[in-house]
Amino acid sequence: MATTSVAVQRAASGRKYGAIDWWGGWRTCILACLGFSALFIALALYMHAFAWTAGIDASSPEFALYWRSLLILELVGVGVGTIGWWAWLVRSGRTIAQTITHEEEVRRIVVFWGLIGATSVVLYFMASFFPNSDGAWHQTAVRDTAFTPPHIIMFYCAFPLGITMTIGTYLYGRTRLPKIYGASNGFPWSFFFLIAASVTEMMQVAMNEWGHSLWITEEFFAAPFHWPFVTYGWLASGIFALWAESALRLLGIEKEAEEEAKGAPAVQTAA
Amino acid sequence: MAATAQAISAAEAERQELRGLLHKQYRWLDYKFDIVFWVTAAFVVGAAADITKLLFAGDWDFWTDWKDRQWWPIISPFAFIIIPSALQYIQWLAWRFPTGATYTAVCMFLCSWVGRAFQWQGFVSYPLAFVWPATIIPAGIFLDWVLLKTKSFVLTSILGSMVWTLVFWTSNYMTLAPYLQPTQFMGHILTVADVQGIQYLRSQTPEYLRLVENGTLRSFLEETQYVSLVFGATLTVAGYWIGQAIARWLAIWPIGRFMKQF
Repeated sequence: MATTSVAVQRAASGRKYGAIDWWGGWRTCILACLGFSALFIALALYMHAFAWTAGIDASSPEFALYWRSLLILELVGVGVGTIGWWAWLVRSGRTIAQTITHEEEVRRIVVFWGLIGATSVVLYFMASFFPNSDGAWHQTAVRDTAFTPPHIIMFYCAFPLGITMTIGTYLYGRTRLPKIYGASNGFPWSFFFLIAASVTEMMQVAMNEWGHSLWITEEFFAAPFHWPFVTYGWLASGIFALWAESALRLLGIEKEAEEEAKGAPAVQTAA
Repeated sequence: MAATAQAISAAEAERQELRGLLHKQYRWLDYKFDIVFWVTAAFVVGAAADITKLLFAGDWDFWTDWKDRQWWPIISPFAFIIIPSALQYIQWLAWRFPTGATYTAVCMFLCSWVGRAFQWQGFVSYPLAFVWPATIIPAGIFLDWVLLKTKSFVLTSILGSMVWTLVFWTSNYMTLAPYLQPTQFMGHILTVADVQGIQYLRSQTPEYLRLVENGTLRSFLEETQYVSLVFGATLTVAGYWIGQAIARWLAIWPIGRFMKQF
């Protein structure tokens, strides 16, 4: 019954795959998670290859070639990519249909879950994968700059991409999911905490470097000036509220569709 | 009599309603939402647990010679329980699953081992025998078991934290024990872990930190670890409630709440 009706809607919308097919709505999740993983693993391999050979002496020409150029490339690449994506979300969001079918709303929620999943993957590289390289490197090699090889990748690529994803996911929700995150609802606390986590982590980098300029010989990883990285990171718990809010709306859509199928006028369920 | 029959009837109706919900066929909601949630959430959960560990107790987890009797049983259980406690609340509230601590422990286990193998061994060439991470999977299972039996966060915070600390120590002691064997090194009796700490240079850790276990607590001889474990268990109660606060105020409270004005 459901299969037939989905197939009919799929044919009418001209889409090859349905809202909840792996290569339909879930494609965003698969591609974004794999894409970020590939990017960060490639950067880590680059770090393994060139940190010891060209990343020890910040005053050397090799450092400038292999590491400062990477820093500039990251800042420009992430900056342009972020502004481009956010601008596209806002501009296309002004013209995209706000009155949509249940099938389309489900597809958008699935894409939204894909973005949350990709955010989760980025947070993993920010908060676990690269901090391990940071600890291993700095407890072994002497610092002579704030822009050490692990910092160039972790603080100036992974951390900014965290902001890209949290704010970008909000813009997607705000422009594509009006019943959950529409402007009339106000600003969600869930996104407030999640975005605050990514932004404060980036800001904490400044305090971190200041701290290391004071206690440069003591690479004590559990040092108090590292602790704000943890407490700010806890704010990312707001991500669970995103899953819950969108799941509640999914249940609401199911209920509305059920009532429509019975012939009764659909009752708009609050998200 | 009539009241009893009415109560039984109401209970049966509720049971039927729940059974109906359990077997309800949805049009869009399917297994893929479950898979995507549990898999993608694992990344953020593992990362949260790992960063909390790394920056609150990381030095005691990085090296075998730091896994001492004085500080390791105090700092590690406190830092390690925070995120498992948060997930325990979330999963118990959402699904009545007593699995949050175990789920977090498995996620952190994977994150830790990827970090140690790829970064500490692959990048900086420390042997895994020196930089292996402590496990909290057995402690997580016991913490969830306490919640399952007591159905109370207050009791779990008290009894569970004690059990957590004890199981943390015993489950990791099996891995640590070979490194505590005595050996002769340059005319001194040291442990194998001490020799590792001397042989594998950590040029940026200050000299005085290399003698990790110090202070008069050492004069308690064999009692040291038990004194530390009990104190660690009391601190872990506080760690449990920090995790509860994170879950209650940062993960659950915001659901469906909006601010109308900045």
